[in-house]
Amino acid sequence: MRFSSFKYLVKQGWHNMIANKLMSLASIGVLASCLFITGAAVLLSVNVSSFVSYLSQQNEIEFYLSDTTAADAATAFGQQVSGMDNVAECSYISKAQAVEEMKEWMGADSDVLAAYEGDDNPENPLPASIRVTVTDLEQLSATVSAIQAAGGDMIYKTQSPSDLSSILVSLQTAVNYIGWGLVAILGIVAIVVISNTIRLTVFNRRKEINIMKFVGATNAFIRMPFFVEGITVGTIAGVLATGLVCGCYFGILQYLAQPSAKWLWEFTRNMYPMTDIWAPLLIAFVAFGSFIGGVGTSTSIRKHLKV
Amino acid sequence: MIRFEGVTKVYEGQSGSKDVLALHDVNLEIQKGEFVFVIGHSGAGKSTFLKLMLREEVATEGEVYVNDRELTTMRERDVPYLRRSLGVVFQDFRLIPTMTAYENVAFAMRVTNISDRDIKRRVPYVLNLVGLSGKAHSFPNELSGGEQQRIALARALVHSPAIIIADEPTGNIDPELSVEIMELLQAINSVGTTVVVVTHEHELAQRFNKRTITIDHGELISDVPPKPMHPVRQAAPQRPVMPQTQTQAMPRQQPQQRGRAIRQPQGMTQPQTRAPQQRRSDNGGYMEGGK
Repeated sequence: MRFSSFKYLVKQGWHNMIANKLMSLASIGVLASCLFITGAAVLLSVNVSSFVSYLSQQNEIEFYLSDTTAADAATAFGQQVSGMDNVAECSYISKAQAVEEMKEWMGADSDVLAAYEGDDNPENPLPASIRVTVTDLEQLSATVSAIQAAGGDMIYKTQSPSDLSSILVSLQTAVNYIGWGLVAILGIVAIVVISNTIRLTVFNRRKEINIMKFVGATNAFIRMPFFVEGITVGTIAGVLATGLVCGCYFGILQYLAQPSAKWLWEFTRNMYPMTDIWAPLLIAFVAFGSFIGGVGTSTSIRKHLKV
Repeated sequence: MIRFEGVTKVYEGQSGSKDVLALHDVNLEIQKGEFVFVIGHSGAGKSTFLKLMLREEVATEGEVYVNDRELTTMRERDVPYLRRSLGVVFQDFRLIPTMTAYENVAFAMRVTNISDRDIKRRVPYVLNLVGLSGKAHSFPNELSGGEQQRIALARALVHSPAIIIADEPTGNIDPELSVEIMELLQAINSVGTTVVVVTHEHELAQRFNKRTITIDHGELISDVPPKPMHPVRQAAPQRPVMPQTQTQAMPRQQPQQRGRAIRQPQGMTQPQTRAPQQRRSDNGGYMEGGK
């Protein structure tokens, strides 16, 4: 095909799209929403799985000791735990050390903790704890039960990543199912809307198509502008959806960076930064959008363009 | 150039309705450089005849040859190339109203993958051929019916076709202007292009002394070669001749001529084909018109 013909066909496709403003906008809107929801589901899913994998690396279990536990009893308990199976490391964190750790974590806002500093400060509300890391995550819960049994009344609370990670994994599964379900439904809707748009264009241009047929234009040549139209609609929707998803993601990142959202810090610092996500999103969205545009076109064109 | 061999076309009836026999065992041959009228009233089968030549429809039986290509077995993807070797003109002109005369003609070249340079060279040339150089930038609605048909003719000529097929070319045009179109077709014919004019107007065929093929009820009922005349007198008839009803009724009185008259070279006459001509002359046919 000549370059001038190619230019002509692309121009015709765009011309059709503009002539059909309303339907083109509708197709772009539906396809962009489909992509937006896909993008939101994918981003949620990847961030949750990043957090889950972070949690499993942090295979740290903290056993909080009740305030009535004497310091030497706690140390002895720590030594006992160190000798147990599957325990890689074990350390004792006193009440005072707990306050220091918290001060470090709060940074500039740590002044509020001044009143609780110092050894044996009766005001200190933070408990002492035994911090344990395990060698084999698979046996995490068995190890946790064994330590709890050994500690008895001394341990008033156990914080193990296993609970949170199982919740997150089921959340991730739910997000995946719902996300893909929505994507499938909206994908079909997008194909129908796009093929309808193309059908309208075919109808509007039936006279020209008829003339093209009897002056000897090839079928490929007649179809080409419709593909250009469908694929352009898909590409625009892809770019638009990338913009929307990235905008929302940026907003969420901004919100999570605020001091009031510090409690989510563990999660926030495991989120993918903006710079990592926009390019793959753009590529995937444009590819998927133009694919849907092409499929939408070919489903309508065969029936309505008997050439 | 164009050859029909035992062509039958049946349109299959949609769920329940009966099949329609549009053409039945049609045999004919049109030689290169001929000017032929195909006449018949509505429903006679002339549209089917046209569609078979353009490969819009495929014959149910028999073979159709156009430009040495057999159309019945032609692959779908070869059809566009067949059509580039034909120029077609329709009763309703089929111009694109949003394009100027120039653009309408250029469109036919653009969509067949021809370079801009060739388009720029060819379009003014064909517009000049049809005498519309001055109206290149007018839109179809600014032009008369005759002018619009000339643009359609220019469009049909861009690919330098070997055959021009005109479907009721003067149907939507004032009688005075339709002579112009017919003269233009004759001029195109005079440089060697085969011209086939499909029409229901018997008068038109009679005014121009050309080979005339009549189709009725799907059958080829007469094939009359042009009457030898002095070339100067061939065109320019004075007034319409012979009522239509008579013309239509006439060939049925001569059923024995069918089949024999076809496929005979132009100019050769046989007794069977001479009979209807004489009748027409008796009724005040073209003889009178030529005077």
